[in-house]
Amino acid sequence: MVTYDSGANQPDTPQGRFTSRRLFAADHKTIGLRYLWLALFSVFLGMAMSLVMRIHLVWPGVHISFLSVLGSTPERYATLPLLHGSLMVFLVLTTAPQAGFGNYFLPLQIGAREMAFPTLNLFSFWATVVSLLGMTAAFVLAPQTGITLWIASVSVFCAAALCTAINFAVTTIDLRAQGMTLPRLPLTVWAWFINAILGMLIFSILLAACLCLLSDRFFSTHFFSAVDFLASQPANTAPDALPVLWQRLFWFFAQAEVYIAMLPCFGIVSHLIATFSRKPIWKERLVVLALCGVGLVGFCVWGQHMFSSGLSPFSPLVFSVLASSLGLPAAILLISWFGALWGARIQFNTSFLFALGFISLFLSGGLSGIFLARSDIASASVTEDFVTGHFHLIMGVAATFAILGGLFFWFPKLFGRRMNELLGKIHFWLTFAGVYCVFMTMHWLGLVSHSAKNPGASLTAAAGWIVPARSFITAGILITVLAQGIFLFNFLWSLFRGERVEECNPWRATTLEWSVASPPPQDDFGAHEPVVYRGAYEFGLHGVAEDFIPQDVAPDRVVKAN
Amino acid sequence: MPGTIAPPDIELIVENRRVGGGGGRPPDGGDGGDDDYGRRGRGESPSPRRFSTGIAIGMVSILMFFMALASAFLVLRHNSGVWVTVRLPWILWVNTAVLLGSSLILERARLRLSHRDVSGFRKLWMVTTVLGFLFVAGQLVAWRQLVTQGVYIASNQASSFFYIFTGAHGVHLLGGVAALLFVLLHNFEKSQVSVSLAAEITSYYWHFMDGLWIFLFVLLYLGK
Repeated sequence: MVTYDSGANQPDTPQGRFTSRRLFAADHKTIGLRYLWLALFSVFLGMAMSLVMRIHLVWPGVHISFLSVLGSTPERYATLPLLHGSLMVFLVLTTAPQAGFGNYFLPLQIGAREMAFPTLNLFSFWATVVSLLGMTAAFVLAPQTGITLWIASVSVFCAAALCTAINFAVTTIDLRAQGMTLPRLPLTVWAWFINAILGMLIFSILLAACLCLLSDRFFSTHFFSAVDFLASQPANTAPDALPVLWQRLFWFFAQAEVYIAMLPCFGIVSHLIATFSRKPIWKERLVVLALCGVGLVGFCVWGQHMFSSGLSPFSPLVFSVLASSLGLPAAILLISWFGALWGARIQFNTSFLFALGFISLFLSGGLSGIFLARSDIASASVTEDFVTGHFHLIMGVAATFAILGGLFFWFPKLFGRRMNELLGKIHFWLTFAGVYCVFMTMHWLGLVSHSAKNPGASLTAAAGWIVPARSFITAGILITVLAQGIFLFNFLWSLFRGERVEECNPWRATTLEWSVASPPPQDDFGAHEPVVYRGAYEFGLHGVAEDFIPQDVAPDRVVKAN
Repeated sequence: MPGTIAPPDIELIVENRRVGGGGGRPPDGGDGGDDDYGRRGRGESPSPRRFSTGIAIGMVSILMFFMALASAFLVLRHNSGVWVTVRLPWILWVNTAVLLGSSLILERARLRLSHRDVSGFRKLWMVTTVLGFLFVAGQLVAWRQLVTQGVYIASNQASSFFYIFTGAHGVHLLGGVAALLFVLLHNFEKSQVSVSLAAEITSYYWHFMDGLWIFLFVLLYLGK
């Protein structure tokens, strides 16, 4: 699966053994594609996990032969969400939009021929594969060994993510083509760049935390020991506050990880909306600032936790204010997207539908996030279902929609064929309806079960609906997962039988990757050195032959309208 | 696009549609001085500036790693009522002096290189490398001294942090020693990077390791 490669990306020279030619090809396009394959594999594995979890929740007695072999202990069940979460967060949401699309299209969009450090890139990729294997193997091992292996795999993933982040940042800073000034960078590149900076900071922290944890397990040190903490605390300390240092270190990472997954998606969605609404990005500079704001606040949300030793009474307030202040860049992004859509002659294809779906999910998920940003509500009312619903909508599903939008958009460039539009649209609507049924019901379930625990609350009457709601969620998941079968079929069928794309620029887009053949040749731009003359979103122009001008068209070569 | 010459009014429209302020200029290179990059031909390697940028960003990342450990140290030190102090071995002072000396000599070596005195450069560079190895050996002696005192990594939180800090710093410093050896042994004749650039990049990292050690030493000393 991993070794797949579209033929055009292979070196022309046949010399070299299979292993060095195939497995150790450091070409940015090959590596980008492999990351996408890795993410595709992981997303289906992760979805299977979620299905098994729901089946366990709704029909606890059901016998699943594969899992029964491993033993039906509570620890075994606990490894299910662990593996589901780590596959989805690390191998899909972190990997696909950044390392997958980024590796393939960042050099193409800025007019570079390669990433800054191709060998380092290759190392990152294989380290990611190793971490995937480790995490998956952790599931079938005995719990204690499995956890150790899982922590080690996460450490390996952190190292890979750090190398990728350094590569992305340096490529953007130093390898831009002539004329590709910062204001002319496409928003996708901005997002990848800011994301790389953020990733470089937070994956170091997770790596440090994981190494301390491994040291606790291997050398019996006491970094996260409950005993030491207990000795220094008053007797009435809540028992769930015990591994507080680990929780903090982990959440420093995990809170920012949400933005790691979302930032490239913001970039991709902005890019898609500009291209398909045929309008320039509304307030492009402000959007770039908003992306920087997401990165900065995303970093500070835990940053203030980090340097305050002990829980100061102001700390929840500061945290709350910071988390709420994320609403500002989010609002700027939303306004910019709506501004672009306003009065636009929109091309409603699958890619654009997924971008719209992203906005919808981002909005709904973001609104429920406002509840969670208030520290008093968060501590009191949030039962697991509400949080699960919230972060799946905003982080998991929204990001997946952006990834799918990007895939439909770039598929012609990646493989020289189009994906089927009809199948794509059926897949979109089924998925869109499915995820809303699942995760909105979860929100509701969270509020209701909270009320059920607090007598006197007005929603107690609805408590009778909890069990049917759980079954409804499971049925919804089943349908959503089945709908992904349509996507998988469409993807594989289009790969071999899809409508061929002969032209370089089927979407009439402006950025540099559309100036080369589809799929791009091995040396990207060939003998021709790209030179950039204008911004990335020159759409909706009057007086020129078409309504857009690509970035590499010199002013004296612009074709005038008849 | 076909090569039609655009009349001035089209150019005007295009100017007005530009979003970024920097886009108005002719393509004369990026903000960071892309001129050398833009001129390179097909098949040439990209600008060697990427190495200095890479090491700078890598250093920020490493700093963040140690800051996470340091803040864990401070939080545990603050919260813990049963903090057992570790008597820092005296050899750490010697090691610190050795590392500081290596940084000084490395700068003198680079000075020689800028005066085109290659043999003098190599001699001093070798001294730096030897001092780097000496520092690592000294840290191992420090561990040995603690072990003879009966202080192991799992003895208490202070000792855990001591071993983790020195161990993690040592591993990163060995990377620096590898870079020093690379500059010493690599044949730069057919390399795309000049020896002075390689020496410069190595010097950044080495001084960073030096400063990082001072920080960790102060932290361990004040936090004991």
